Amino acid sequence: MKKIIQQKIFHHLLKNNIENFIGVPDSTFKFFIDEGIKMNKTIIANREDEAIGIAAGMTLSNSNSVVFMQNAGFANSLSTITSLIDLYQIPLIFVIGWRGFLKNDAPEHEKIGKIQPELLTSIKLKNRVIDETNWKQNCNWALNNIKKNTSVALIIRGDTLG
Amino acid sequence: MDREEAIEVICSCITDEIVVSANGFISRDLFSILDKNTNFYMIGSMGLASSIGLGIALKNPKKQVIVFDGDGNVLMNLGSLVTIGSLKVRNFIHILFDNHIHESTGGQPTTSRQIKIENIAKESNYKIFSVSTKKQLKAVFEKTKQKKGPILISVKIKRGKNVNKRITLAPIEIKTRFMKSISK
Repeated sequence: MKKIIQQKIFHHLLKNNIENFIGVPDSTFKFFIDEGIKMNKTIIANREDEAIGIAAGMTLSNSNSVVFMQNAGFANSLSTITSLIDLYQIPLIFVIGWRGFLKNDAPEHEKIGKIQPELLTSIKLKNRVIDETNWKQNCNWALNNIKKNTSVALIIRGDTLG
Repeated sequence: MDREEAIEVICSCITDEIVVSANGFISRDLFSILDKNTNFYMIGSMGLASSIGLGIALKNPKKQVIVFDGDGNVLMNLGSLVTIGSLKVRNFIHILFDNHIHESTGGQPTTSRQIKIENIAKESNYKIFSVSTKKQLKAVFEKTKQKKGPILISVKIKRGKNVNKRITLAPIEIKTRFMKSISK
């Protein structure tokens, strides 16, 4: 996804009362993350479950949060999503990279990339894949969902092999 | 002193502080001894009490946040000590109930006997206090409330005798009343 679009997504979320962007970095949307660091809205956590914990604490303090991660990190987060975020109904927007759906991507992404849609479905985390044309509409969809106390995921595909 | 006795001592000193308590017996004890709307009891997600406490502390800089944690819990999310220390959160008191075992699951050993969690926390910019009696704990807790965090109070405890009942509040109820209490 183009740098300018990634930056627009960040500012759109920021403008709509998302005050915290906590996560583990992903090259797929590095310009989105850089924007948060520049604006002093971002904490880089050591692990994805830690990031979810910090963001949950902020959301419990009535301050809305995004948690970002790679798809490998999403696999690390399954227990925290089910036993913290779902259990207490703490609304978060997850921004998750998606590698491994292209042929010949790096081998560590292959299996987890293939099963990512099924994983999202089986833990019942509502999600949409965002691209350069639908990003605003899908960000608004996510913002509306957290107002209703529902966590959702926005998926950004890695469209180049890195 | 066992965990329940240590929690009783701390609860006798608590006024309007926010408390985040780790899953397992720690949350059950707190619920039995001093149930308050400003307590956030964790049911599952072992290891994350300190991360949740960090998020709350950063967003409520005028309130003191106290995290009740265990050695097994801290070891499961060791990176959290580094994040907390690097952010220099002033309103953060981390209480470690250290019995060197996973007591809630039957007493299996942790590694906190061989590797001191206090030393790792110290390297991570925490101020460290270590206590093993009720008297010391009361004195140190009262003193640390005045100090700038992050602070770790390592409380050496014995294996407990009593197991308190499960938390009878639904998780959503814990969340809702907690959010209301801190938005005042």
